[in-house]
Amino acid sequence: MADSFKMTNLPFSLLDESEQQLLGSSMDICYFQKGETLLAAGAEPEGVFVILKGRVRESEVFQPGEEATQHVFVHYTNEDYFGAWSAIRGRAIHNFIAEEETICHLIPTKTLLDLMSSNSLFADYFQQNLSAKSEIVAQHGGDQDMAEFMLARVSDSLVRDPVIILEGTSIREATLLMREKKADCLLVKKGNRYGMVTGTDLLDAVIVREMPLSTSVADIASYRLITIKPGDYLFNALILMTQQQIERLVVMQYDILSGVVELTDVLSYFSSHSHVIGLRIERAQTIEDLKEAAFGLDDLIRALVSHGVKTRFAMDLLAAMNGRIIAKLFDLIIPVDMQPHVCLLVMGSEGRGEQIMKTDQDNAIIYRDGLGWPGMQDTLNTFSRTLIDFGFPPCPGNIMVSNPAWVKSLSQWTGMLADWASKFDGEAQMNLAIAVDAKPVAGNPAIFKASRNWFMRHLRNNDVFFSHFAKASLEFDTPLTFFGNLKDKGELDIKKGGIFPIVHGIRTIALECRIKTTNTFARIEELVEQDVFKAEFGRELSEALSLFIQLRLNQQIKRMEASNDGRDDTPNTIELQALNKMERDLLRDALHVVKKFKKHLELRYHLGN
Amino acid sequence: MIIPRTFQKIKDRYQHKTGPYAHLFQPYDGDEIVSLDCETTNLDVSKGEIISIGAVKIKGRRVITSDRLDLKLKPPESLDGESIKIHKLRETDLEDGIEMEEALEKVLDYVGNRPILGYYVNYDIRMLDKFLRPRYGFGLPNKSIELSHVYHDIIKWKSIGGNVDLRFDTISRKLDIPMMERHTAIGDALTVALMFLRLKYGEPPEADY
Repeated sequence: MADSFKMTNLPFSLLDESEQQLLGSSMDICYFQKGETLLAAGAEPEGVFVILKGRVRESEVFQPGEEATQHVFVHYTNEDYFGAWSAIRGRAIHNFIAEEETICHLIPTKTLLDLMSSNSLFADYFQQNLSAKSEIVAQHGGDQDMAEFMLARVSDSLVRDPVIILEGTSIREATLLMREKKADCLLVKKGNRYGMVTGTDLLDAVIVREMPLSTSVADIASYRLITIKPGDYLFNALILMTQQQIERLVVMQYDILSGVVELTDVLSYFSSHSHVIGLRIERAQTIEDLKEAAFGLDDLIRALVSHGVKTRFAMDLLAAMNGRIIAKLFDLIIPVDMQPHVCLLVMGSEGRGEQIMKTDQDNAIIYRDGLGWPGMQDTLNTFSRTLIDFGFPPCPGNIMVSNPAWVKSLSQWTGMLADWASKFDGEAQMNLAIAVDAKPVAGNPAIFKASRNWFMRHLRNNDVFFSHFAKASLEFDTPLTFFGNLKDKGELDIKKGGIFPIVHGIRTIALECRIKTTNTFARIEELVEQDVFKAEFGRELSEALSLFIQLRLNQQIKRMEASNDGRDDTPNTIELQALNKMERDLLRDALHVVKKFKKHLELRYHLGN
Repeated sequence: MIIPRTFQKIKDRYQHKTGPYAHLFQPYDGDEIVSLDCETTNLDVSKGEIISIGAVKIKGRRVITSDRLDLKLKPPESLDGESIKIHKLRETDLEDGIEMEEALEKVLDYVGNRPILGYYVNYDIRMLDKFLRPRYGFGLPNKSIELSHVYHDIIKWKSIGGNVDLRFDTISRKLDIPMMERHTAIGDALTVALMFLRLKYGEPPEADY
């Protein structure tokens, strides 16, 4: 077999040895001149083409009389394959033309169909959409330790058997039992409910509250249990513990209790130092302590990514960590008597929980109407300065609490939102986009909720607003034709081309459907639940977005490591020649999804030109 | 060398025009070409032995890799360290090789009366002839196409004076043809086939020296 054909590329690597042999022995090699048509629309294709060398464009058929400016869909280059769709259906619907001299392997249709019927994964790969494809890639492509790390689940080996005691057991008996079982928590059954008692609870009861040793443990147990399902990702357990600031989760499904997961066990599983940072944040007594913890975050993210943790998990974890840092700083700086009267918001990507590296601070304060706090602005200035000191860069648009424009009373805040919503200029729209992604992280969340609910009511049925608001997501072209230019320095701005259209489009629809979550993935899930999207389309959007973020992050980290000062001045650039063939394939499919989504937006908000 | 071979060919054709191999001597009127390459133990025909034979058909603008000949022969006695260094076929790699008789039969059957293409193709043909003649009483009668001549004919108009570099690697680089499995018979045959298509149908290569 010719070594010019890479069997190690997906999807061919899915074939077993004898199948690869069959494939290798049935391929031909074809030569095409520049400008020659490899496969014409309407023609019956001979099979799948795999480019050995050269470049091919796929373009729409143009009718006689129509303008000769053909719309080029996609470029294919070395190691790419095309024509599978046409081969399976027996007819091509687009023209495939060689843009330069091209040498291709040709897999005959018959062989393709034979292989598809003998190997279902291979068949899936050719027939499925983006999300199924990425699933296959996740399982079969790339390094294995990635899978191990991110796919670790809450399973038997990590779940401790619960020590269950009955209502009426005394504190003394319970303590003895804990010693005997070497457990540091017990579950108390009271009627049909379970409550948890930890060593700390026992100490508290006896020493602090001076209860007699004969007291029933049922009286000191806590019945608000945070649970996780067996089989859920261990990572989610870690996130849950970080968010709730607890050290144990009860594993439960359909009201059946199967055990307890302890923080220490989870942490020892993830041998990276995420736990150190998490604990440091919680234990920080001074701003200095907190600062040290904050600086550990960048390393943590880098470690997670290099371990291949799915970006979405890393984002969730980072959002939880950053949220904790900011909240802790708020506790340290804002006077305790003022805390219930103000609410600190994080906005933009931070509000959506989608930042990966520490991004600019976008934050704001809403305070209760009529609050008298003379030193407020000074205190908030200190707050912003300290965050900068922690390595959160200042916001270039000055959207932060040191700017009085973003420190508002509840009624000022709602007034401001309404004002922006009625204006159609770019700045107002941008501010609004940032503000509707706000999420309360510290202080009194009720103040924020009041403003959000008011604003959502205010926008109800305001079609003109939504139509206008949605328009921004169509502003930039989706760069599908970039791929041919791999020889040149192919670059694309992934934020404009892929991330922003999805994030903003979803934001608009979510606002219209009055969805309260701010994370784009969570918004998509809710939109699917409300039947705004089909589940499959929702999955594709999520998959596309997480791919964009992942590719961007990989390249960001590479650039940061390559530069002297650890900075990356072009964070949204994707260098195409740095992608491997698989990533290029997925990126192409993902950009197709963006295109489809834009069409959806055009229809929904009547944005056709 | 050329003239005696021509006479030999005429004599062969006359002697075999009614034999079982008469079809090999018919003039060819199809559109296929066979790209052929042998790996041997020595560049001197009189001393060399064949260790592998690779061939692939070219039909129109397509290399029919799905119908190819890839033969390995029993290790000859002259297999020594020097040649092993080039083609990387050790004695153990040739253990399941076939006998020369079987290989020749397959080559004749595969090539038929199609023209034979190769890089320094006369060497390969003479090598095969050396083993064919004692057994069949004739040498390969096929028309031959020399890749380096095809290349030279095209490139000489572009380079004024001076010698044209006809080394295999240079041609491959100039034509921007990826080299397949260099120094395996089938790989070289394939590369030559692609070079030929590129020369015959593509833009002439730049002569930038």
